[in-house]
Amino acid sequence: MAIVEAKQLTKVYGSGETAVTALDHVDLSVAPGEFVAVMGPSGCGKSTLMNLLGGLDTPTEGSISIDGKEVAGMTDEELTKLRRRRFGFVFQFFNLIPVLTAIENAALPLTLDGMSEAEARAKAADWLAKVGLSDRMKNRPDQLSGGQQQRVAVARALVTDPALVLADEPTGNLDSRSSEEIAGLLKTASDEWGRAILMVTHDPRIAAHAHRIVFMEDGRIIDDTQIAGSDDARKAMEKVGLL
Amino acid sequence: MPVRHAILGLLDQRPRHGYDLRAAFEALVGGPAVWELKPAQVYTTLDRLERDGLVAPVERVRIGGPDRVVYQLTDDGRSALHGWFAQGVHGDHVRDTFFVKLMVAVATTGADPRAVIRQQRITLYRDLHALTHNRATIDRTCDLARAMLLDKAVMHLEADLRWLDMVEARLGEIEQQPMPQPLPRRRGRPPRAAEDDATEMAAG
Repeated sequence: MAIVEAKQLTKVYGSGETAVTALDHVDLSVAPGEFVAVMGPSGCGKSTLMNLLGGLDTPTEGSISIDGKEVAGMTDEELTKLRRRRFGFVFQFFNLIPVLTAIENAALPLTLDGMSEAEARAKAADWLAKVGLSDRMKNRPDQLSGGQQQRVAVARALVTDPALVLADEPTGNLDSRSSEEIAGLLKTASDEWGRAILMVTHDPRIAAHAHRIVFMEDGRIIDDTQIAGSDDARKAMEKVGLL
Repeated sequence: MPVRHAILGLLDQRPRHGYDLRAAFEALVGGPAVWELKPAQVYTTLDRLERDGLVAPVERVRIGGPDRVVYQLTDDGRSALHGWFAQGVHGDHVRDTFFVKLMVAVATTGADPRAVIRQQRITLYRDLHALTHNRATIDRTCDLARAMLLDKAVMHLEADLRWLDMVEARLGEIEQQPMPQPLPRRRGRPPRAAEDDATEMAAG
């Protein structure tokens, strides 16, 4: 069963003559453990797609199911819980809380969800170990390198055991070495830890880490290609004219 | 407002008239879409700077339209500019419009603070996507300063989004607590404690 399945997803902003169709009957399904990159020129509908799948906005038409359950029928409270428990968000900047240690930062989504401190710390410790930070758990962000902070941020996104990690231009501002590192971590999260990842990016080198690239234009998916490595990624991009 | 000192800085480069200053300021901050300066503000600022002796008119020029007064920086103006450089700028994140809205929603019967948070999240995500898009169109090899400014805005938006998650998670507790109240103000004559102290000290 797909982790997330969008059917005929449509979003229209405004009405009448000024209406803009940001998303036009899009079908997209992401399987567990799949790493999908979404690419396309600005205004192609990538951000709208992410907002809808992340439960931030409601579609004009079509449906979204998460874990096989239709989102449209959910109450606001259920949606909030879904967001908090089944989605992980990776942002462009790590934005760790400076007064908290690595383990406290990583545990935060769990403690906010009402889990006991001890249980949350144990889970956070597991994830920090997985991202290679077992010897840095008690360090505060200012005592960590940029790459290490990034790892804490990824651990924080994974600690709730999300079905789907949404990463919106996660390397938007990073230097190329850090970009590679975070893309590699996301790949590990999907390959080894079975997380489904949906990443919007405009960077071909980062998209090359994904299993699949979905190309969008004018609110539609124009191509959807499985890839293995940067050669495939380049060919796929040449095919749709992005390179 | 840094407009006053920005004008001093722009006049330190060379004498300029108001129209020129306005265009130069807007270019500096990333365009009129980011920070539009009204002509009236430029001219009142120049009047005050002239009154304070920080700038002085040097000539009138005429390019097509009306006469324009060209100003130059005075020595006092230059030291005011360097005084400004010598001081830090405080961050202002405590006076927060959304926080006020949320607290009023918490206290208002029939309002739904959770819906207020959700709407805020949608709004911030839209802003975030717009900024990310703008930043992607910038060429960092020739416009790095502007890219860094947008980075700053993105960083703050993302922090706001994380903060919203925290507030949403703890809203129940916030609702249980009494709303912050003003400190009670004493009525009548002020207390006489100070006088008593003085008497005691005099006696001791």
